[in-house]
Amino acid sequence: MSENAAKAANPVVAIIGFGTAGVNAAIALRRAGFAGVVRVFSDIDTLPYSPILTSYYAGGEKTLEECFPWSAEQLAELDLDFVQEGPVERLDVEGHKVYTREGGYPYDKCVIATGATPMCYGFPQVEGDGGYEPLVMRTLENAERLKSVLEDESCERVLVSGASMVALKTLEACLNRGKRVTLVGMNPHVLDFNAVPQAAERFERGLEGYGVELRLGMTVKAVKRIPREGGLRDWQLEVTFSNGDVDCFDEISVSHGMKSNLDFIEADTLEIDRALVVDDYMRTSNPDVYAAGDVAQGLELISGQKRIVGIWKNAAVQGAVAGTAIAAELAGGEPSPDQAHPGAFGMNTIAVKDMLFISAGTMEVTPERTMEVRENDEMLVIYIFEGDAYSEGTGGSKRRLVGFNLVSEHDEAGSRAYDTGAMLTLRIEAGCK
Amino acid sequence: MGLLERSDAYWKFTGQCTQCGHCTQACSSLTAADMTLGDIAQALLEAERNSASSDELAANIAQNGQLVQAVRGCFFCTSCKNTCFAHNDVCDLIYNARVDFRKLGLIPRETYTSVLVDEQWDIFTAYRAIHGIGYADLTRHVDTDVAPADTDFDVAFFPGCSLAAYGPELTREIFAAVEELGGKTTMLDSCCGSSLRSAGFFDRAEALCDKNSRELADSKAKQLVCVCPGCANDMKRALARTGVDVEVVSLAAFLNAHGFKPKKPLPETPLCISKSCQDRDGTYLEDTCEALGIDAEVPTIFHGCCGAGGAVSAFDPDRQAQQADEKLSFAPDGSTVVTMCPTCTYTYAYRMMSNPRNIVNKHYAELLFESQFDWNLVFYQLNSMWYGEYGAWLAQVFA
Repeated sequence: MSENAAKAANPVVAIIGFGTAGVNAAIALRRAGFAGVVRVFSDIDTLPYSPILTSYYAGGEKTLEECFPWSAEQLAELDLDFVQEGPVERLDVEGHKVYTREGGYPYDKCVIATGATPMCYGFPQVEGDGGYEPLVMRTLENAERLKSVLEDESCERVLVSGASMVALKTLEACLNRGKRVTLVGMNPHVLDFNAVPQAAERFERGLEGYGVELRLGMTVKAVKRIPREGGLRDWQLEVTFSNGDVDCFDEISVSHGMKSNLDFIEADTLEIDRALVVDDYMRTSNPDVYAAGDVAQGLELISGQKRIVGIWKNAAVQGAVAGTAIAAELAGGEPSPDQAHPGAFGMNTIAVKDMLFISAGTMEVTPERTMEVRENDEMLVIYIFEGDAYSEGTGGSKRRLVGFNLVSEHDEAGSRAYDTGAMLTLRIEAGCK
Repeated sequence: MGLLERSDAYWKFTGQCTQCGHCTQACSSLTAADMTLGDIAQALLEAERNSASSDELAANIAQNGQLVQAVRGCFFCTSCKNTCFAHNDVCDLIYNARVDFRKLGLIPRETYTSVLVDEQWDIFTAYRAIHGIGYADLTRHVDTDVAPADTDFDVAFFPGCSLAAYGPELTREIFAAVEELGGKTTMLDSCCGSSLRSAGFFDRAEALCDKNSRELADSKAKQLVCVCPGCANDMKRALARTGVDVEVVSLAAFLNAHGFKPKKPLPETPLCISKSCQDRDGTYLEDTCEALGIDAEVPTIFHGCCGAGGAVSAFDPDRQAQQADEKLSFAPDGSTVVTMCPTCTYTYAYRMMSNPRNIVNKHYAELLFESQFDWNLVFYQLNSMWYGEYGAWLAQVFA
C-alpha cells in the first residue's frame, strides 16, 4: 500500500491543546463520523477544565471536581490518542509533523488550540531576599496557588494589579475569602476596554462599597520583599506606586493581558497578526492547519475585521467548526456554508459579590456612533448605536445597536438585569446579520 | 445512530457548557432538579452509554427523577439562557430532549393528544367547532364554502390559537383594523406548533409552520401580523427556512406604523406589563408600550414564563400555578396587568379563578380595542363541553 493510500485509509488529525476549543474540535470530528486517529497533544495531566471556573475554585465557590466540564467517560467515548510529552515544541507545517521533546508525529490535518497565557507586561521584577513571583490567573495550577494563599490566614492584604475581567474575578475570590483588597490599574477606570467610563464608575462605587481600595490611573513602579515585624508571616511586599505612594501587601496578583500561545510556530510558516488569521472554517494560511480559540483571529461581527474574540463560547464554536470542516475534507468533500463560523463579538458577564456587569459588542464611540444612557436605581444601561436615528417601534430601524454596558447592584439570576442583557445581546446579533 | 436520536445536540451542548451553575439559580425547575443545562446533556449521554436497548435507556432515564424534572419542567422561557455567561441555547437542548423522551415513551400520550395542532381536532378546533366559532369569511386565501380562494393580499393576520378560539369578537375587530390600515387582508387560521414542540414533535411543528409559509406564499401577502411573540418567532424561522419573503411584524408594531388610535382610553388603574418570555429581544415589549402610549419604563414583570410554556401543566400542574403566582406577585395591588401574548392572558385568568388577586388581567389588544375576552364564559364552555352532548366524542377524539 502506498503511503498516500495508507494515509487516506487511516488519516490522522492532530489537536494541539485540549481546552474548550480542542475538546470541541474532537467532539465535532467524531460526531461528523471521522473514524481516523485523533491525536491530542496536551501538557496538562488532568481532565480539561474550565478556566472560567478556576477563580470560583480559588474563592471557595466551586470544588475542584466542579471545574471539569467533561467526564472521563465522555471523553473516552471520543477514542482519542493522547500524547503527553510536555508542550509541543515545533510544528513542521510543510512536513506535516508535530514535534514534542520525544520526536515528531505526522498528521494530515492539525488544529491549533493552545489558548493563551496571562501576562505581567510592565510589572516590575520583585526585589529583596527570597524573591516573589506574582500570582496570575488562568490555569488550574494558577488557581491552586491562589487558593492556597487565600486559605492562608497569614495573607491579609492582596494587591490586584490590572482591571480586566480576570483581575476582577481574582478580586472577587479574594473578597470571598475575607481578604482586604486593593486594585491598581493604569487606566482611569476598571473593566478596561469593556466599559465606558460612566458604567465603570457605577461599578467602581459598588466595589468600594465592598471595601475595595481603588488605585486607578497608576501603576506599580517597584516591589520589594521586606521583613515584617508582627503579623502571621515574617515577610511582606512593599509596593511603590507610580504616584509615589508606598504600601505593603501580603500577596500580589497580576492580570496584565493575555498572549496567544504560539511560540512553537516557526516564523513565516503561517500568517500571524495578533494570532493566527483564519477563514470561516478556521483554516489558517496553510490549508491543513486550523486554529480555534484564543489563538485564532476570526471574523468579529461588529467591525467586520479579523480579531481575537477571547471568550469561552467562541472557542467552543470555533473548535466545533474546525472539527466539522476537517471531517468533511478528509471524507473527500468540502464543508457546507451552514457549517462555517458565523463570526462572533465580545460578550462578558461578571459579578463581583452583588455587583453585576454585563456587556456585549463594542464600546468604541466613533463619530458614526452615538451613546445613550438610561439609569435608575435598579440598573444603568448604556447603549452604543451606529447609523441614523430611527423611529421607535416601526420595525424600520435605520440604526443598529453595536454595544451596551449594563451595571446593577443586584446580581439576581433570572432578574430584569439579566433579561435586559440577553435582549440587547440578541439585538446586536440581529443587527450584524 | 445510537439509542438517542438527538445525541448530536447533547454533545454540542456539553461542548459549550462551562458548568458554572448560573442557569440553575435562574430556573425553579433546574433548582428543583439541582442540575445545570450541561448536566442535562451529560446525563442523557451517560444514560445512553449505560444502556443496551431503548427499553433499558427509557428505564434508566425514568429512574433519574432529576433529569425528568429538568427536561419536562422546562417552560422554554430562556431565563437560564439569559443568565448563562455563554448564552447557550437551552431551547435547542430541551426540544431535542423532548423528542427523545417522547420516542422513548417518557411523555405519556394522554398528556398531548388534545394539543396535536396539526391534526383535524385539537382542543382549540374542538372548542371552536362546538361553540360555533369560525373564520371562513376571513381566511380568504383558502377555498371555502363561502368563497373561492383569493390572492394578492397585502397582509395576512395570524391571531394564534388562544385569541382565535377564546376571543372571536376581538379577533374580528383586530382583523377589521388590520385591513383598514394595511389593505387587502386574509387570516391565517392556524397554529405555530409550539404545543407540538413541547410534546416532542419537533419535526411536525416545523412541518406545520412550513405549511403556513406555503399558504402565505400562495396568498402573496407581503406582511404577516402576529399577535403572540412566540408565533412570530416560529413563523420567522419557517419563512427563512422555506425562503418565503414575507415580513413578520407584531400587531403592536403594525398598529404603530399605521398611526392606529386606541378605540378607548386606557384604564385609570396603574398598568404593569407582563413581558412575554417569547419576546426574546424585547422589541415586542417596546412596540406594545408604544401602542399603548406609555413609557417603556412602566413597571414590567420579567422573571420568565407565565406558566403556560413547555406543557409543564401536563407534567406538574402545581408548578405551572406557582409560576403564574410568582409572576403575578410582582404586579402592584390594584393594577392592570397587561399581557403581550393571549396565552399568558388565558393562564393568568385561569389561575386567578382559584387564587383571586386585586388586579385586572388584560391582553394589550383589549386595551386598544372595544372587544374583550370573557374568561368566565370561556372557562365555563371549556369545562362544560366535556360533559355535554360532545363529551363522548371529545373523549374518543383525544383518547
